[in-house]
Amino acid sequence: MLIARLKAGGPTLAKQGILVAFILFMIVFSFMSDRFMTTGNVMSVFRQATIVGVMALGVTIVVIGGNLDLSVGSMLSFATVLVVDLHDKIGPELAVPVMVLATLCLGAVNGFLIGILRLNSLIVTLGMLSVIQGLVLIYSGGQNVDIANQSETWFRVFGRGAVMGIATPIILFVGLALFFHILMTTTAFGRRVHAVGGNPVASVFSGIPRSRIVFLTYLISALCVAVAAMILGSRVMGSQNNVGQGYELQVLAAVILGGTSLLGGSGSILRTVLGVLMLAFIQNGLILMGQPYYTQWLVTWAVIIIAVWLDVAAKRGRLLSPIA
Amino acid sequence: MTKTMKFLLASCGTVALASAGSAETVRIGITQNNVGIDSYQTTYEQAFIAAADANPNVEVIVLDAGGDVARQISQMQDLIQQQVDAIIIWPTDGQALVPAVRNAFNAGIPVVVTNSNIAEAGMDFIAAFSGPNNIQQGIYSAEMMCDALGGEGQIVQITGMPGYTTAIERQQGFDERLAELCPGVTQLDIQPGDWNRERAQRTMETFLTRFDQIDGVYSGDDNMGVGALNAAIDAGRAEGMVFIGATNFAVGYDAMARGEYWGSVYQSPVDDAEAALQTALDVLAGEDVPKLNYFDTPKITQDNMDEFDRPVF
Repeated sequence: MLIARLKAGGPTLAKQGILVAFILFMIVFSFMSDRFMTTGNVMSVFRQATIVGVMALGVTIVVIGGNLDLSVGSMLSFATVLVVDLHDKIGPELAVPVMVLATLCLGAVNGFLIGILRLNSLIVTLGMLSVIQGLVLIYSGGQNVDIANQSETWFRVFGRGAVMGIATPIILFVGLALFFHILMTTTAFGRRVHAVGGNPVASVFSGIPRSRIVFLTYLISALCVAVAAMILGSRVMGSQNNVGQGYELQVLAAVILGGTSLLGGSGSILRTVLGVLMLAFIQNGLILMGQPYYTQWLVTWAVIIIAVWLDVAAKRGRLLSPIA
Repeated sequence: MTKTMKFLLASCGTVALASAGSAETVRIGITQNNVGIDSYQTTYEQAFIAAADANPNVEVIVLDAGGDVARQISQMQDLIQQQVDAIIIWPTDGQALVPAVRNAFNAGIPVVVTNSNIAEAGMDFIAAFSGPNNIQQGIYSAEMMCDALGGEGQIVQITGMPGYTTAIERQQGFDERLAELCPGVTQLDIQPGDWNRERAQRTMETFLTRFDQIDGVYSGDDNMGVGALNAAIDAGRAEGMVFIGATNFAVGYDAMARGEYWGSVYQSPVDDAEAALQTALDVLAGEDVPKLNYFDTPKITQDNMDEFDRPVF
């Protein structure tokens, strides 16, 4: 009887696998450390998660559209170095729009190569990862950039400010997440991205402008990177040339953990948010428990692999592959 | 003047120049780790080229491996092929470069390792190492921490990239010296900041959540130290907290001037580059050069910072 009930409830539960895992993790960690579930810690982790989080929103849309974006890490370095460097040269009111425009241009290059020329997104964005890192080094000559007057600039609001007690990065992250969630679930654009990712050929025959949709997903991804750069630059008030190195993998990990299929066509913004938060809380929880750093790598990626397995298992209704 | 004559004259001129050149100038090839990835390495390269230009008897071939081990190995082979008089190498990987260094040794070309040393297995094949003493730097930081805390307190440590020699040696020097000099100071935890300011800031935020009382923070370099400082300021807990770093960065220097940062270790990329070139020249001049040549990296604190220029990186 119990088994029958579990079986009946299983599929619905399995569909929310990430949510269940997230809640389980939170419960385990709160038993292990009495500091874990305090408002201060939760808000602090939430704020730490926003940089990877905002980028993951854009990448989720790219992945639903059937492509990858590995260039977001060095694009983040580019945008942060640019906005921090220009801050002292032309002032923040000009530096921010210039940085956003420049980052969108990089997104447009990605979009052109992948959307219009239909090149493989893995190769293009892997190449762009290096190309953009090169651009950063040429631009800065390898020097770190810093904002001289950290306490008086209004630019501090993006990373260090708060509205009604809630940190601005959190508001930006939640706001963008809701916006993109609505965009992806209720608009024609959202349906078209799903269609293009699910079956590109069929989408073209259905009259969907595939090239333009893919192009737009890369613009959205670049826009998200620009917002992340504002948060990062403002939080740190300086930038190294390789500050975003490795972020592309954290972003991709969060997207995968959120259950978005790398094959395209399915995925959810809100579940990516859960993936982002789960990764951030795992890292935080392990340090709070006093675990050495290597356990963080081990646990983080073990969780991701298990999550992917459970996700696939839930879709086919059994743990092992039917062919195996 | 006929064409043949012109040709002959030109040839003679070239031969004369070449022989005159080989009598005095030495050709030194350098293969660097990853120029441009941080301000230290960028300044190092500029200083190295400037030092070589200032010496009319030195001709340098400047290469950069871009952080890529395979590329550095082939650069070593190229330099051996070109039969340079000496090779200076900033290893991308202390272990993987040992065979390439042995090849140079077998070809009779002296190798000077700069900045971060080659693995123990390669020590027999190098003429000398020139660079900072990272263990000594860790010791200096431990001594400053002990001074600043008056021998009592609880501290946390934020290290560099796990597995990176510089990070390991600084931590080793710090841990050993602190335990010996200051048994009253306890280390609450040690976590990496990956040489990244934002990462260090995150690590520090978690430390602040976890520990109610933190009296001091030791960071593997000032870039991370300033990240930790930012986190403490944000949490309103920086007052009275002692921040000690290493490799004094401009941001660390400025924070020290504001009284927010206690001390660091002053390591100049210009000294580093000039020491490497000088070591290579000494080796070529046949001088008796010790295996390990450390250039001076003194303590810098709020009290003596006037004696130092603001770092350019």
